[in-house]
Amino acid sequence: MTVEIDNLTSQIQMAAGKAGEPTSFTQKRLSALKLMNQLAMPRMQEFSYKGWPIMPADGQLSLNFPQASDQVVQAAQTNQPDKPYFYGFAGTQLVSTNHGDQLKKAGVFCGSLAQAEKEQAAIVDKYFMSVVKPDEDRLTAYHAAFVNGGAVVYVPRGVEVKEPIELRLVQDSTAADQPLVFHLLIVAAPGARFSVMQHLMTVGDQANSANIIVEVVAQEDSEVHFSALDEMSAKTTVYHSRRAHLDAHANVEWAVGLMNDGNTLGDLDSELLGEGAKADSKLIAITAKQQHVGINNRVTNRGLHTTGLINQRGVVLDSSELIFNGIGQIVHGAHGSNAEQQNRLLMMGKEARGDANPILLIDENDVDAGHAASVGQVDENQMYYLLSRGIPEPIAQRMVIRGFLSAVLTVMPTQELKDKMLAILERKLGHE
Amino acid sequence: MAKLEVKDLHVAVTDEEKHQTKEILKGVNLTMQTGEIHAIMGPNGTGKSTLSQTIMGNPNYHITQGDILLNGQSLKGMPVDERARRGLFLAMQYPSEIQGVTNAEFLRAAINARRPKDNQISVMDFIKELNKNLELLDMSDEMTERYLNEGFSGGEKKRNEILQLLMIKPSFAILDEIDSGLDIDALKVVAKGVNSMRGDSFGSLIITHYQRLLNYIIPDTVHVMMDGRLVAQGGPELAKKLEKEGYAGLRDELGLKVKLTDDED
Repeated sequence: MTVEIDNLTSQIQMAAGKAGEPTSFTQKRLSALKLMNQLAMPRMQEFSYKGWPIMPADGQLSLNFPQASDQVVQAAQTNQPDKPYFYGFAGTQLVSTNHGDQLKKAGVFCGSLAQAEKEQAAIVDKYFMSVVKPDEDRLTAYHAAFVNGGAVVYVPRGVEVKEPIELRLVQDSTAADQPLVFHLLIVAAPGARFSVMQHLMTVGDQANSANIIVEVVAQEDSEVHFSALDEMSAKTTVYHSRRAHLDAHANVEWAVGLMNDGNTLGDLDSELLGEGAKADSKLIAITAKQQHVGINNRVTNRGLHTTGLINQRGVVLDSSELIFNGIGQIVHGAHGSNAEQQNRLLMMGKEARGDANPILLIDENDVDAGHAASVGQVDENQMYYLLSRGIPEPIAQRMVIRGFLSAVLTVMPTQELKDKMLAILERKLGHE
Repeated sequence: MAKLEVKDLHVAVTDEEKHQTKEILKGVNLTMQTGEIHAIMGPNGTGKSTLSQTIMGNPNYHITQGDILLNGQSLKGMPVDERARRGLFLAMQYPSEIQGVTNAEFLRAAINARRPKDNQISVMDFIKELNKNLELLDMSDEMTERYLNEGFSGGEKKRNEILQLLMIKPSFAILDEIDSGLDIDALKVVAKGVNSMRGDSFGSLIITHYQRLLNYIIPDTVHVMMDGRLVAQGGPELAKKLEKEGYAGLRDELGLKVKLTDDED
């Protein structure tokens, strides 16, 4: 099947016009739409997602901004007044904002994509889909053409924001057939320093797809800490691509907790463009039941003396499948660069399947590169030690799992996030 | 009063690589009660650690004959954690390291595993007990917030084993070469910890190569193990005699045809 460009062009124009979208943005949609028929779905090494409802069938494509149900709106509010910078999205709409005056004074913009299209047109024009490009594959083109919700964070030159900026996205699955296509654009001007937390969740038990792209533009000397907790429902099929472009001496730290209950195809990616840029990419995934999850965690060293670190840990329960590809690439000319990676899986379920694939692509000589990968069972010596102190097996097992995850868990930026992740782990272990 | 009996115990281990089963213990008999301190001495490779691991229930050791009884009940088939909750404790030669779990949290879990759900130890009581024992063992508070044994020196690990012993208060503690790798000061601290437990409700089985530890923890009974059997028994003077004459001397005196690991081929 092919996408009906003409029909969809007018459908998009209608829907975008009704939403009051600037025509320049709609033009971006239409040029992405035109690419769709030429582009294939992305391939992931060692992992197949054939047959997943990861995006609507060609005949079902349309641009919609569905009104979220009350339950979803409620879940998108925070009841914690101590969160200084909080933005809650009910599906496609921003419904809750805690935006301190300080941010405004410092010239920080944080708001919905729709708002940014008007108030920060130059930023959106320049950077939207500049890190992840529409012409990469069918999923990125689909994203650019049908994006129906989003947020933009822009922190100006030299500004430091101490408290994390938290974005909660509640996907509305109280009804079926309302795909969420959500975009988060983060722009750090030179010397800016801040952290962003993205929390993805679902309300409702209907089947839907979610297509999430996060772009981080980290300009010279900036420092961005990005953390994520993904806990979307079993019936949500998720594609996410989170990618950063790093200019000279920029520093991006990723800390991702991938705890979705449903099938997930994920990409976490750092492009080290400028000299001395550094990315540290940490990820924890827990899979359970019949779930299939494939993750590419990639860092590409392009600039001189760049450093790329990958550390990912996964716990594979029940009869689920989890694939970790750690991809460290040093391109020709990236002298004095460093690429290190660790990919480790703990296989818990008897019928669980998992693979940790370190992929090193080194095209330069004077570099440091290393990798470690393991797929194993619970450490028997550790278990024996804990049991010998009278600690019952289920508790001992949780301690060993926490020990296994600890290298990544300890860098999660807040205690709240760590506790949430442990609670999800507990829930997933509970049905074993 | 609790009682631990080892009866005609034969134990084999399986060599994973060679797929061969080897008999290590060849009929060990031992009875001890709380209130007593026993020491087992013996050269390398005679089965001392095998005995301690088998009592604790390490799944790599298989009882082929005989039995172990705790208060008259067989331990065969009893899970490791249950043995521990019934009063056994093994201070390990090589304690595991577990990142992400603090020492304090681990100790509380171990204590609470022995208490009913509606009567878990309060934070205040726990801290009080912990501080008392830290002081006794000359350990800093900071040790308790570190991850379990992670990055601990050999000596710190051994002290940490004794700290667990003091917190958990088992009926029987088996100390498996607790003295190895310890300098004389640390050795004294460890001995002080064990001696503080001495009393009617505590018994200990001390496994060691050397007599030195037994200068600080005076045993009631000393056993000598060679080639998978307890071949001699006596009071503290037996340890001193061994220190002077060596294991080969005793072996020849007993007329045993046993090869010691350190003998030249």
